[in-house]
Amino acid sequence: MGRNDIEKGGMSLIVRTIASILLPFILTFGIYVVIHGHLTPGGGFQGGVVLASAALVVLVSFGYRLAENMYKKYKTLYSPLEALGGILFIIAAAIGFSVAFFYNYLWTSRTLFGGTPGTLWSGGMLPIMNIAVGLKVATGFAGVLALFFIYTYRKSEGEKP
Amino acid sequence: MIPPLQYFIALFLIVAGIWAIMLKKNLIKILIGLSVADTGVNLLLITLAYRNAIGGAIPTAPIYTGYEKGMIMVSPLPQALVLTAIVIGVSVLALALAITLQIYRHYGTLNVEEIRRLRG
Amino acid sequence: MKEDRRSLKIFGIVFMTILTLIMFLAFMPGIGVRPFGEISYRSVPTDDYYIEHGIEDVGAYNIVTTVVFDYRGYDTLGEATVLFTALTGAAALLLGGRRHGEE
Repeated sequence: MGRNDIEKGGMSLIVRTIASILLPFILTFGIYVVIHGHLTPGGGFQGGVVLASAALVVLVSFGYRLAENMYKKYKTLYSPLEALGGILFIIAAAIGFSVAFFYNYLWTSRTLFGGTPGTLWSGGMLPIMNIAVGLKVATGFAGVLALFFIYTYRKSEGEKP
Repeated sequence: MIPPLQYFIALFLIVAGIWAIMLKKNLIKILIGLSVADTGVNLLLITLAYRNAIGGAIPTAPIYTGYEKGMIMVSPLPQALVLTAIVIGVSVLALALAITLQIYRHYGTLNVEEIRRLRG
Repeated sequence: MKEDRRSLKIFGIVFMTILTLIMFLAFMPGIGVRPFGEISYRSVPTDDYYIEHGIEDVGAYNIVTTVVFDYRGYDTLGEATVLFTALTGAAALLLGGRRHGEE
């Protein structure tokens, strides 16, 4: 990532520097919105979209060579992560299967997430479900955005898409 | 004779979206009309969930963090269903855009009348 | 072809006018729905139950999250399935045909 990245689809040096500085703040805010889903407005879906927008900032400002290198290196990581989010959601729902399918087992027996309502360690199954759905939405949208990017630039360069 | 302003904006968005879906010839413009109509329907569903102030209480969001004694909560049920509807709208738009890209690669044009005439 | 396009436009304008008229009539305060902000007495018992018993049943302050994930959890399960299916279909459309080549 040197000085001649502009002809590979990236943007100028100022945009790249500002994107690198802003990236930890966007990630922290996204994780905060996901985890505090049972106290403040937010939750799994909203926090997942914020995390996917962090991936979009990196994609737009650094060009498609970086996106292609990252895709080749982490190709076997995106789809297991998305499937892990879905499976975690179903497991969290099926724990209390002896009573009902979506039974809030962790709250009515006051184990792991059973504190006083209003603190972080409360809510039963809700933080686990929030994290699972946030993981699923974030990796899904980031992967599809990267695929759109790579497809368009490969087609415009003449390679086989 | 128009409805109150809160309903009128949502109805205007729905009518504009349906007008774009019916009478436009470019595929991208039809997809934009689909997204605008989706936004209008979600806005209309949230507008129906409001509650007026009863006896001096202020209507507020249905969250107990920051809740004081003189507040009344609006209805939480349509907001939960609209959350689902927004995510489904975005997924349908992503799939439709992927299909549009493949149509452009195969036919070379985005005009709906010419695609109907070419037939692969 | 010209007559086709002109008859389609006339049909489109007539249909849009009728649709607009029906929608505006259905949302006027006197004829259609109730005035803005009033309570609809068919849905008050459910909303009051969710607001009153939300904390002791689930244990979270955010009533919208308890409705989404605990009282109406099946809708969220269906939505996660739709999200997964649509994104898998889009990825398969954008990547497919790379190994088989152009024929």
